[in-house]
Amino acid sequence: MKRQDNKPQKIKKVLIANRGVPAVRIIHTCRDRMIPTTAVYSTPDRLALHALMADSAVHIGDAPPSESYLNAEKIIGAALKSEANAIHPGWGFLAENADFARMVIDSGLIWIGPEPEVIAAMGDKIRAKKLAIKANVPTIPGISDVSDVKQIKQWMKEDEVTYPIMIKAAAGGGGKGMVKVESDKQLKTAFSQAKSEAFKAFGDDKLLAEKYIERGRHIEVQVVADQHGNVFHLYERECTLQRRNQKIIEEAPSPTINDDLRNEICFTAVRLMREIGYTTAGTVEFIFDSNTRRFYFLEVNTRLQVEHGVTELITGKDIVGLMLDAAEGREFQFRQEEIRPNRWALECRINAEDPRTFSPSFGTITRLKAPLGPGVRVAMGAYEGADIPPYYDSLFMLIMTAGPARDDAIRVMDRTLSRNLRVEGVKTLAPLLLSIIRHKAFKSGEFSTKFIEDHMDELVSMFREHDSEDEALKIADYVARISALGPQDWM
Amino acid sequence: MAKKKNSKPLIKPGMSPSEIVKILRNLDGVMITCTGMRDAGQSDYKNRHRIYDLATLAPYYEDMNLFSSECHGGARWHVGVMNRRESPFKEIEILRELMPSVQLQTLIRETNLWGYRPYPRNVIEYVVERVDIDVWRCFSFLNDIRNMRTVAEVVMKRGRLFQPAISFTQADWTTNEYYLSCVNDIVDLCGGVDEIVLCIKDMAGVGSPKRISSLVDAIKQAYPDLVVQYHRHATDGLALPALLAAAKAGAKVVDAQEDSLTRFYGQPPILAVQAYFEESGIKVNLNREAAEKAVQRVRDWIGHYEWAESPFKGFDHMVTSHKMPGGAFPSSFEQAEKGGFLHLMPSILKVMSLYNKIVKYFDVTPGSQITWVTCSGIVNRYAKEHGETGVQHIIRILSKFVEEKGQDMSKMTKAEQKELLGLFSTAPGDFKNLLLGGYGRLPMGWPDEWVYKSAFGDEWKEKLKERKDLSPLDSLEEDDLERIRKELAEHLGRIPTDEEFVLYLMHPKDALQMFDFVEKYGEAPLVLPTNVWREGLKRPGDKVEFDLLGKPYCIELVSVGKEHEGQIHVVMRVNNKTRVYEIDTPRAKKVEIRMAKAPNEIGAPISGNVWRIGNPRRGTIKVGDIVHKGEEIANLEAMKMENPVLAPFDAQIQEICVKLNDSVQENQLLFVLKEQ
Repeated sequence: MKRQDNKPQKIKKVLIANRGVPAVRIIHTCRDRMIPTTAVYSTPDRLALHALMADSAVHIGDAPPSESYLNAEKIIGAALKSEANAIHPGWGFLAENADFARMVIDSGLIWIGPEPEVIAAMGDKIRAKKLAIKANVPTIPGISDVSDVKQIKQWMKEDEVTYPIMIKAAAGGGGKGMVKVESDKQLKTAFSQAKSEAFKAFGDDKLLAEKYIERGRHIEVQVVADQHGNVFHLYERECTLQRRNQKIIEEAPSPTINDDLRNEICFTAVRLMREIGYTTAGTVEFIFDSNTRRFYFLEVNTRLQVEHGVTELITGKDIVGLMLDAAEGREFQFRQEEIRPNRWALECRINAEDPRTFSPSFGTITRLKAPLGPGVRVAMGAYEGADIPPYYDSLFMLIMTAGPARDDAIRVMDRTLSRNLRVEGVKTLAPLLLSIIRHKAFKSGEFSTKFIEDHMDELVSMFREHDSEDEALKIADYVARISALGPQDWM
Repeated sequence: MAKKKNSKPLIKPGMSPSEIVKILRNLDGVMITCTGMRDAGQSDYKNRHRIYDLATLAPYYEDMNLFSSECHGGARWHVGVMNRRESPFKEIEILRELMPSVQLQTLIRETNLWGYRPYPRNVIEYVVERVDIDVWRCFSFLNDIRNMRTVAEVVMKRGRLFQPAISFTQADWTTNEYYLSCVNDIVDLCGGVDEIVLCIKDMAGVGSPKRISSLVDAIKQAYPDLVVQYHRHATDGLALPALLAAAKAGAKVVDAQEDSLTRFYGQPPILAVQAYFEESGIKVNLNREAAEKAVQRVRDWIGHYEWAESPFKGFDHMVTSHKMPGGAFPSSFEQAEKGGFLHLMPSILKVMSLYNKIVKYFDVTPGSQITWVTCSGIVNRYAKEHGETGVQHIIRILSKFVEEKGQDMSKMTKAEQKELLGLFSTAPGDFKNLLLGGYGRLPMGWPDEWVYKSAFGDEWKEKLKERKDLSPLDSLEEDDLERIRKELAEHLGRIPTDEEFVLYLMHPKDALQMFDFVEKYGEAPLVLPTNVWREGLKRPGDKVEFDLLGKPYCIELVSVGKEHEGQIHVVMRVNNKTRVYEIDTPRAKKVEIRMAKAPNEIGAPISGNVWRIGNPRRGTIKVGDIVHKGEEIANLEAMKMENPVLAPFDAQIQEICVKLNDSVQENQLLFVLKEQ
């Protein structure tokens, strides 16, 4: 696939087709470059952080994503109206929607992302896998275009595949529309669940089935490419720790692999991205089988990723900045050999969720004290007093820490989560995240994608019972109540 | 004379019971059990004294050279859980730290422990083993010594001091012979007199000096080596001379409380006791200087408890006939006040004085409650049906029956007989249980048959056959502790601590309420001064400062808003940060959200949006449909993840409690099923 037009185009103003953490992140780099920004917002996001931070903000519709952040026409209309000449999709929503990318380009705007054809090809897992095989990238045994359960059974029999297997949305990503199957008995329910979720999340119920790598680890390579044929990797990230197939802790580099494997996996990723004609920032995800020490291609994320910040911390590169460069048609002014990570970085996702049950916890953030101190980077998507609406992703803050070695990054993260972060009004994953980074398995680097479900009870039991500030607030609650209501009957 | 400050206490925790008994036997004069932290509060302040205030006395107690501090048990336990929201375990912990050389004493009601029903043996063992108390004063309202067996065994096995108490009252049947038979039983139970202190528990304050002198003397004659302690309330106004009479007759320990705490129903004032005894030639082993400081310290906070004081003020020599115990006085008057029948109190007290000649036992928990509920019930019933005349009428009949006719039914007219046979028809279940031996044997045997006819009507003969002569220790089946613990774990959603379990065993409903309270308001009961605890902050700028987990905190009131649509906004500065609190007033409109409670009620597994009711295969599910175990009956979406709700068993849908696209919270009721 070829870029149709290599003519440099100057970005004058960027519309960010997103909200929360990604929108704020992109505004930061734009601000660094003195590029004005347009935010878009849905009705409940009228006073959201991203809307307040941007240079202009356009209302694009009501709460349901289909009427706002997924509504391509309104977003493009907002760009034209606010005189933005470029659109950055962030992550989630329309970030991997090839039709949207095409519409942006056809409207005469600069699309800050890969070619629509590349998005389409990689978005279809079946095509992506074929392309990977073509690029000589190892892939997991599986079948595509699954239309019924019988077909899966047939394949398992022919290829001698045993349970567990994974049924996934062909159009998927982000853990949605993925169902693990342990036995024949579950197959039928799992199949229909995956189909329905796939349709709901991506508007496409095409499925594929694959061998499930038990206790696999999730390693991905950050790639950046310009329109001049430079395809570089920015090394790998480890994203093994997941709950319900969604990552919650990421780090770079990976504690799992040695330098030989690192080189192999990074150059495999570059080879694939070059093969498919990728431009801008993207990620190649692999699953790593710790037992056999082999890695398999999983998918390409044709967008900026949540966890890109840890790579920025270890390499010093601004990935959003490189995306702007690539979109403007500039050539990268560095070489692969100059990328020399010299830090270890860790990221925790602060989702508004109950840390015991993972059920979403929306509402008003009544108190938000951002953790500060040496070695900490915080990406905020909300502010004290803001609402977390129930319609969107529960992520509202990222905390990253860095240090010379993994232990140092963990130590800083411990300080950050245990002492400096305060969130009230909504529950967050913070207690669980703290338990995880304090767990000996995490410290030693010995964990798999199943770690959280396997250790949930133990992790919950490590939640701290007493925090003097929390306890003081309980007392203040009481004083407020009695001050308002006077002596109570039960006294 | 006053001892030097910080001199070594004669008796302290960790000493063996025999060591303690030896010291007391050889003691010149007497020692004092200070009841300032328990019975003083129970008798005159409805047990509302908070550990926050009581703890201020502990440093003085540490120097006072007390025999013990009675700081635990009785109704203080229950009121702590129910009204003060303080754990009795936490109180012990606080006091141990502040007065490590003082023996902590409890009051325990044999098989009733600190609750209000007889517990089986295994519960008694479990509970008594887990409470860190040095001196265990144990009484029976029936003086049924058999009921003390389990408590005695566990306490003595732990090497703590067991203090069996005989419930004392002054009546024609409570003779020295009667009490000596109780003491015999106690000595048998405890294997002699070397490891116990015997308590005479004069809980109503009715023992005249002469009567007490004679009783102590009789006991000392029979058991010269038995150490006797006299516990007495001040109700009749004769406490000081009675106490001195007991000491002169050989009692080695007496109970007293801070003079500044003394009102009318508690123990006599400690400084007065010391002075009066010394003047009469009996040495009091007490550091008077420290005691004076404690008395003075009380004045700093006692003013906060005026609201809790009994509305019935003044000494009451009539107690010698109605015999309501000091500990029950304020709570009875409180109930009368709340129930709007305070004006009937004189009649109730009169009926009580007649009643306790018909059914003979001791008016102390739970007996005093049975007496109170039964007698106040009778008076209220007559007042309701026939007014003041009716009340006077029944008092007249009862007086005639008891005082003139020697309780001989045949000497009453037919109409009066009929009236009497209706007397207990609406008596409480506990009264009936008492008649059937549920608490043990009555001290003077079972009441006359007419009482049974009156209480049980036509069934009385069958009921009489059910009557037990065994101690509840021998007749009650063991409780399934593991099942009860699981039940509590389900309420809490976590594994309960041993202490929480004990609290739950005693008062299940109130303990759960306290756990909820603590979950919400944390240590508020322990750190807030009493005025703030009860009334909050009053004026803008008022503040409360406290330390918590080693760090300083300050809560300052900025403003309290006006009520608006059932809400009041309170603005406070918590450590200098402004916070707004939205307080729902009792009038706040509440949107009722039904939660799934029973096994056949299906709750939402998470908070989310109900985007499908039914499943793709069969379509929408309706009321009346049959669903199968494991079948998806609804699906919730939250943050783009699907969460199927499955039928837990084969069932018919009885009710669908949500509509499509409703937003539901976790555990909100979705379906009611009927198992097939």
